[in-house]
Amino acid sequence: MDGSLPGQDRALRPPGWAQPVGSRLVAALRVQLVVLGAVMMREIHTRFGRHNMGYMWLFFEPIILGGCIAMVHYISGHGLPGGLEILSFYVVGYTPYYLFRSILNRAATALLANAPIFYHRQVTFLDVMMARNLLDCAAVMIAVLVMLALIGAIRDVWPVDLVWIAFGIAMIGLFCHGLSLMIVAATMFGVETVDRVVHPLTYLTIPLTGAFYMVWWFPTELQEWMLLVPSVHMFEIIREGQFGPVVPYHYDIPYVLVSCAVTNVLGMLALRVAKRRIEFT
Amino acid sequence: MLELRNLWKSYDAHGRQKHVLRGLNATFMRGDAVGILGRNGAGKSTLIRMMAGIEPPTGGEVIRSMSVSWPLGFGGAVHGSITGADNCRFVARIYGKPAGWVESFVEEFAELGEYFRLPVKTYSSGMSSRLAFGLSMAIDFDCYLVDEVIAVGDARFTERCRIMLEERRRRSALLMVSHQGELLRAFCTTAAILHEGRLTFHEDLDQAIATYQAL
Repeated sequence: MDGSLPGQDRALRPPGWAQPVGSRLVAALRVQLVVLGAVMMREIHTRFGRHNMGYMWLFFEPIILGGCIAMVHYISGHGLPGGLEILSFYVVGYTPYYLFRSILNRAATALLANAPIFYHRQVTFLDVMMARNLLDCAAVMIAVLVMLALIGAIRDVWPVDLVWIAFGIAMIGLFCHGLSLMIVAATMFGVETVDRVVHPLTYLTIPLTGAFYMVWWFPTELQEWMLLVPSVHMFEIIREGQFGPVVPYHYDIPYVLVSCAVTNVLGMLALRVAKRRIEFT
Repeated sequence: MLELRNLWKSYDAHGRQKHVLRGLNATFMRGDAVGILGRNGAGKSTLIRMMAGIEPPTGGEVIRSMSVSWPLGFGGAVHGSITGADNCRFVARIYGKPAGWVESFVEEFAELGEYFRLPVKTYSSGMSSRLAFGLSMAIDFDCYLVDEVIAVGDARFTERCRIMLEERRRRSALLMVSHQGELLRAFCTTAAILHEGRLTFHEDLDQAIATYQAL
């Protein structure tokens, strides 16, 4: 279960394996994709079962939560600076935050929940985390799309740039994926311990994430501090995708990309160091 | 060929290093049927997990130049919250076999009836080992690692396992670990004893069992 691609495992090679490096890389990538697809299918089955509308829960959960939060703010009747439409503001804030929270909160127990899968040596810890997080990311994108379509139909407020929204959500997914690898690596000190630390942390850091406010609402000195948090940039990107250039946005694309790269590289390194000591059975 | 080269496994127990396996060397070829005898806690399961490549050794290496199965044990490789059929499809996908074919092969072999389409957690232990064993037979490995799986089945299942493994003997290797000498007689031709972290090979099965029982 090392970091190498499953395709490099001797046991998986067909007899008489002797191909140039290029096609070997392609074959390894193919195995990687096949494993990823299979783990995702299985993840859907384990989480939601096969019967009734099992799959639908994948989208319903963020839709119900995001929709309710947005409704509460709408009913409470206070306006937003810049006159932004209130339902869509909380939908594009809360639903991506749901992604943030679900990736991090479920990371610590991810391996335990999948212990039998590691009987197959071509499945790595990284594969399982990638499959789960990709699934969560796709679910949240679909949930946001559904809700924005509904809001568009009801309130006639349509997203300005869907690709930009998707990019922001993808960045949140990628950033949290890196963090989730670190959480998995930390479980070498005990799953329960890590779980107990992560849950309060995701709760207490809600005000820091940037999900429910905009940077321009705050004084300049404070903005500098706020923008140290990478997710603040990502939520600004999503809001710009929704509302377009009617209010000022503060984000720095290189900063976003670098912070995603940093969490992912650190996460993979941490996992590499920890993998021999993680107990998952 | 499956080769063990100076294989070590140590655990940290209460701040002290406990050496479970101390420098094992062995080579297994297709057609071999080797039983590995060891008491409870001798490191049999650890050894088989390392041969399968799902647990990293502390030192030394395992070289796999034939396809090696996952450790066939009590369930283990199958997931409790999805159905037997879904488990089949998943395993077929990651080993690059046609999912439909694997599903029907296992359905026929495991004789689970309607349980095949129910979550594995509703199975008895005999049923889940029938599923796991059938699944490993469907994938067709060069080397099967067996961790006393057959012992949980009833007589009919044990006999079917024996016949199926017998058929594969010409092209596959079989490594079986057990703490019962008698079980190995039905499946193996040679045996080794795992004792105090070392592996001793015996050409003669009866001699191995006698030595083991005298330990």
